[in-house]
Amino acid sequence: MSTSVTDKLRVGAQLYDRNLGQLGQYHPSLDWAVADYRFKSWFGVRGGKVKTTLGLYNDTQDLDFLRTFALLPQSVYPTDLRDATIAHLGGDVYGSLSLKHRLGGLAYTAYAGHRSDSIYGGVAYLAAQYQVYFSSYGGLQYGGDLRWNTPLKGLLIGISRMNEDVTGKAKAINPLNPGAGFVPYSAISKADWADQFYGEYTAGKLRIDSEYRRFVHDEQDQTADIVLVEIYDDVRGWYVSGSYRVTKRLALGYYYSRYSVTSVAGGLLAPYAPHQTDTSLPANHVYDKVISARVDLRRCWNVKVEGHFMNGYEYSSYPNGFYPQVNPQGFKPNTNALVVKTGFNF
Amino acid sequence: MKCPKVLLLAAGLTIFASVDSVAGDVKVIANASVKADTISAADLKRVFLEEKSSLDGSHVEPLLEKEGRAHEAFLQEYLGMSEDDLQSYYQTLLFTGRGFMPKVLGSDAEVVAYVARTQGAIGYVSSAASAEGVKTLAIGVPSSNAERKLITRVEPDYPDTLKRLNIGGTVRLRVSISAKGNVEDVELLGGNPILGESAAAAVKKWVYAAGRSRTIAEVSILFDGR
Repeated sequence: MSTSVTDKLRVGAQLYDRNLGQLGQYHPSLDWAVADYRFKSWFGVRGGKVKTTLGLYNDTQDLDFLRTFALLPQSVYPTDLRDATIAHLGGDVYGSLSLKHRLGGLAYTAYAGHRSDSIYGGVAYLAAQYQVYFSSYGGLQYGGDLRWNTPLKGLLIGISRMNEDVTGKAKAINPLNPGAGFVPYSAISKADWADQFYGEYTAGKLRIDSEYRRFVHDEQDQTADIVLVEIYDDVRGWYVSGSYRVTKRLALGYYYSRYSVTSVAGGLLAPYAPHQTDTSLPANHVYDKVISARVDLRRCWNVKVEGHFMNGYEYSSYPNGFYPQVNPQGFKPNTNALVVKTGFNF
Repeated sequence: MKCPKVLLLAAGLTIFASVDSVAGDVKVIANASVKADTISAADLKRVFLEEKSSLDGSHVEPLLEKEGRAHEAFLQEYLGMSEDDLQSYYQTLLFTGRGFMPKVLGSDAEVVAYVARTQGAIGYVSSAASAEGVKTLAIGVPSSNAERKLITRVEPDYPDTLKRLNIGGTVRLRVSISAKGNVEDVELLGGNPILGESAAAAVKKWVYAAGRSRTIAEVSILFDGR
């Protein structure tokens, strides 16, 4: 809900809840709560818990009715890691302006704040397999986005940048002395960053998107003053997608999504976390071919049927959809998935 | 026969260096508190997409019409979006905390009444709708060199048959004015073609004050069929 307090000041808030397999578990959270003051069209500020602008779809990833696909390309928008990027407690400056000489328009956002992950998200769930149980996970997050509506009608291109410094507080079974029970445990990233480049082209009923994201995660896990492991993850993902509205009620889509991770570990536990540098191995990548159909039964009600044909399962220190807890027999090089999803919006 | 009810809306008053687009079926109206008399097509789009909330220093807030020809013409010609796309756009703003769902009204009369009484309101109605109590904004890109003063104006004929059948509406013309002030060329941009022909014939006889160079003007002429 939101309301205008004055001509330039608007306030609002929204709740969010989900239960996706073992994630979310119906623990509602504040999705966003914002006071927004727009001085000029080219300069405004907003503060509170603010949705983070990152690439084409980060801030709208929950708005299922906007797209043909049931799942956004997981190489760039992993739904299990939604918390990592979805919002920050802080502020934005933003604006948009038309360029002279018919050069289109620019929109910018710069932000800084505190990221706070749900302990029911993917990072905490992956850590739980090692008997590490987070009570909090978050930290400073800042960055910006610049997008250009080009003079070519329907073509948008942009770039986003995010920097973050994350600390997780947990309790864990001390791997050096398992009989001693739980001990305080922390996971500290020194300077994570993500760059994202994107483009979107729409022409009538056709939409083509492409994005590339590189995320670098540099984490140090320790208990008391003992550094257990230092991990450097280099996560790269990109996709190309196309969708076409065949009729008023039917839209079809296809995307190819490619995701890979290299991971290098050091510290006391490094022997248990061998380097992963060969991205051609199934353990270090996920290549996903997706076909999708969306049927709009009503304007407010849609059904989506989607096939995923995946190669690789990417299993490293950084999660991406495949978790050993729900795959006790281990992973296979190829995985097919059928997604059927229905949504209402009003 | 010359008709005394032929009204000149912005004839000779609004001069543009260029014209982005016009719509024959729809006109843009605003509350009297809005200072601007013209709005570019690009700014109009930005106002309705909530990227821009002021015009010439006045706060503006968009207002939608629920359906009908004016609504369809406005979506097609000024926003370049389908109804579904527009609804999705506003829902995106709403659900991400970046904007609001504009007020939606069901008819031209409701839109005009709301705009007339609501400070900053900007909406659109069919060209034939009464604009009593509101101002009609001309669409175009304001000229960098000042407007050309109209010295000689000839009123257009209102064809008898159309008049008798109450067929009227706004005719929009692009007028090319020489440096000396003569009208060199007239192009019909929108409106009834028969009325447009009559209006063009009259406008070709107009004379403007001399200027430094050739300029292009957009002229709107209302044939009041009531």
